[in-house]
Amino acid sequence: MTGGLVAVSALAAASAAAAQRPQQVVLPGPVPYPTDSPPLVGGGVLASAYIAPGLHIASTERVRVNVDGTGKPNAIHVRQQLTVKGKGDYQVAVSGPIEDVRRGPGSQSEPGFRADQLLWAGFSPGTKQLAADIALRVPPAAPYLPLRLHLTREDGGVTLRVTNATTTPVMSYEGVVRPTEIARLLDATRRSSLAGERVKAAFATFLGTVRVPKRPLQIEAPLRVQGELDLPGQEPVAFSRVLGDGQPLSFEVHAQGSGEPDLDLSASPAPVVHLLRPPGARTWAATIGRRPIPGAELLSRLIGARFRLVRTDQYQTFLADPDADGHSRAVYEYKTVAAHGPQHIAAPARDGGGSNALVIALVILGSLVVAAGGLFVWAHS
Amino acid sequence: MRRAILLLACVALLAAGCGKSSRASGGKIVIAVDVPVTGSPYVAQTIRNGVALAANSLNSGGGIIVGTHTYRLAVKLYDNHLSARQAVEDTRRALDAGAVAIVTDGTGVDATWQLADRDHVPICITYDGGTGLVDAAKRPNVFRIAPTNHGIAFRFAEYLIPKGLKVGLLHDDSAYGQEGAADLGRAFSGNPRSVALRMTLPLGATDLSPQILRARRSGATALLVWGQPPTIAAVVTAARSIGWDVPVYAPPTGADPFIRQQLADHPSWVDGLTFAAGRLTAEVGTGPFQSFESQYESAYGVDKVGVPTSDGSPVIEPPELAMYAYDFTHVLVAALTRAGSLDAGKVLAALNEVTTQGANGDERGFNRHNHDGVVDDDVYFARFHDMTYAPAKDDPLSSTLPVIPQTP
Repeated sequence: MTGGLVAVSALAAASAAAAQRPQQVVLPGPVPYPTDSPPLVGGGVLASAYIAPGLHIASTERVRVNVDGTGKPNAIHVRQQLTVKGKGDYQVAVSGPIEDVRRGPGSQSEPGFRADQLLWAGFSPGTKQLAADIALRVPPAAPYLPLRLHLTREDGGVTLRVTNATTTPVMSYEGVVRPTEIARLLDATRRSSLAGERVKAAFATFLGTVRVPKRPLQIEAPLRVQGELDLPGQEPVAFSRVLGDGQPLSFEVHAQGSGEPDLDLSASPAPVVHLLRPPGARTWAATIGRRPIPGAELLSRLIGARFRLVRTDQYQTFLADPDADGHSRAVYEYKTVAAHGPQHIAAPARDGGGSNALVIALVILGSLVVAAGGLFVWAHS
Repeated sequence: MRRAILLLACVALLAAGCGKSSRASGGKIVIAVDVPVTGSPYVAQTIRNGVALAANSLNSGGGIIVGTHTYRLAVKLYDNHLSARQAVEDTRRALDAGAVAIVTDGTGVDATWQLADRDHVPICITYDGGTGLVDAAKRPNVFRIAPTNHGIAFRFAEYLIPKGLKVGLLHDDSAYGQEGAADLGRAFSGNPRSVALRMTLPLGATDLSPQILRARRSGATALLVWGQPPTIAAVVTAARSIGWDVPVYAPPTGADPFIRQQLADHPSWVDGLTFAAGRLTAEVGTGPFQSFESQYESAYGVDKVGVPTSDGSPVIEPPELAMYAYDFTHVLVAALTRAGSLDAGKVLAALNEVTTQGANGDERGFNRHNHDGVVDDDVYFARFHDMTYAPAKDDPLSSTLPVIPQTP
């Protein structure tokens, strides 16, 4: 977001001087992401990474979230599968609030584990599968999960409320644009969204001033949510929704009966479909050929859709793909599981900098006292 | 004047408070090296030299900083005579001498690790790849920088099985041979049809003709010999003596100068002998290793194999084992620095968290689940020709590696 803001500010300043002169403005995507996490970040400094030229690493993640009877997470595990393509050496680290790491099924190598780091090192002879089962510490990881669940017991049943938690404000921009160009960009963005591709870098031509609206734009990663809510002895209540993409950001499901609810839910980042659907034609270019749509409206839709795609891409990596350009996919699975006692949390080892900082502070303070005393003596000598 | 002196004194005091203070000397930090000086002198010497080279290099740079003190590294040599009993005695003496770590070829570690663990003192193996010697969960103070038998065995399986060879798995009755045989058994267990026979050879036997004849009759089209250098030399001699040009494969002992010395009268018999070892160069190229080799040779001279090439050039042995010992010393120093004290428990914990650049340019370090500093993927294959070896061209990793010069 900072990068985008700087770019917009710079362009806005430039535009004031350039009056109505056309200027190219960078549209959102593929980076930066609107928030720092996900992907999760752990404490400490990551071991240095090396990926041989020509090597690509794709990441597939299955994030399993155990929730208690109220819908609150009480355990988070990630199975991350990395597919290394190409021939050469790799030495990579994945950061996060990692409690423990084990080799995952089908892995052709053994993962290493350090404080808040998962390590992989080896040689890919052409293709290599790496898999790890990673236990995360819940308090630092849970705020970055894409959904909030609330299970409420009522007379005669239980109600599940599911909320898309990926909403975040972003800095948008406005200005005079050419509708034909924006329609073409909408069509290109729609094609890549439907193909499941990462949003591609693009520019738009602004005529004159680029304005930044006072109110930030609220965007979210659209999420496809499906699952079942079950109470003992009752038929499961199935549900399937998309949260976001111009549709509601939450929904409720009610199951009749009594006893402990059993919830199985999966969520995955979804493409932007609804907001990019052209009204009354197959393409946006055709739509504006039939009836004029104001450029500002098209631009707002384009920027909103692209930000949502960026946010969607962000949630495809709950844990980072060591290859920043790698293809990543994540699915989040929530299940009701009673907590088995307090979660063991291994605090990451930290450098013992506290005592050093205290010593430095005392030395500086002592020096200042001595210096002040000296100056006092000097002034009165 | 008095005012000026006072002002200068104040400024000096402030500068002293804010500036970088010189650190007090903390004395010596002892690293014990327990190796078979009288059992396997080449291995002992190169391990000792690797530790000493790193220590001397760090000392010449002003020593190492641990917390608020600087220390000099001192290397203390013990001779374990390839005897576990002697290794136990050496470990006791090293602990009494206040050693912060013990570097060993691996002799007696099954008996010494508990002694050292009581004092939280790390032991690092830089030669023996035996499975079970290193176990991060059960033996938290044992580390290793050397290719593992497990890794070598599985790399051999993935290298040889696709070739469609019928492999004769031979091992000698030394502990090394028996441990290797167990790992080979596991590695080839999924493809029993690739194995023509399994046979134990007597260590020290100079004539293995009967066993090699039996191997030939079994239909073997390749021999993988896991044993001490004399056993490998004896297998090659027996096979070539009967005119059997079977390809022979060996673990890292296949590179031992002893084999070439034994076969010096028949240099062509050495041609084609292929051994597995830890790669000497990283993807960054030969630069880092050659720089290390140059330092090593400046300090200790070249390790001569004792045989010439066909054009009369003397063959020298690259300091592979020295590299592992050298790397461990640097990892240990990184752990001491990170721990910020000589508290053995803190140093031991820090060993799981630090990485340094190894002599070959690769990153070197351990982690909480794995105390082996050479990953299985780093095992490569090299083949002899004219008394020197070069990475094999028929293995994906090996084919990417450059040749390390072995003549002056």
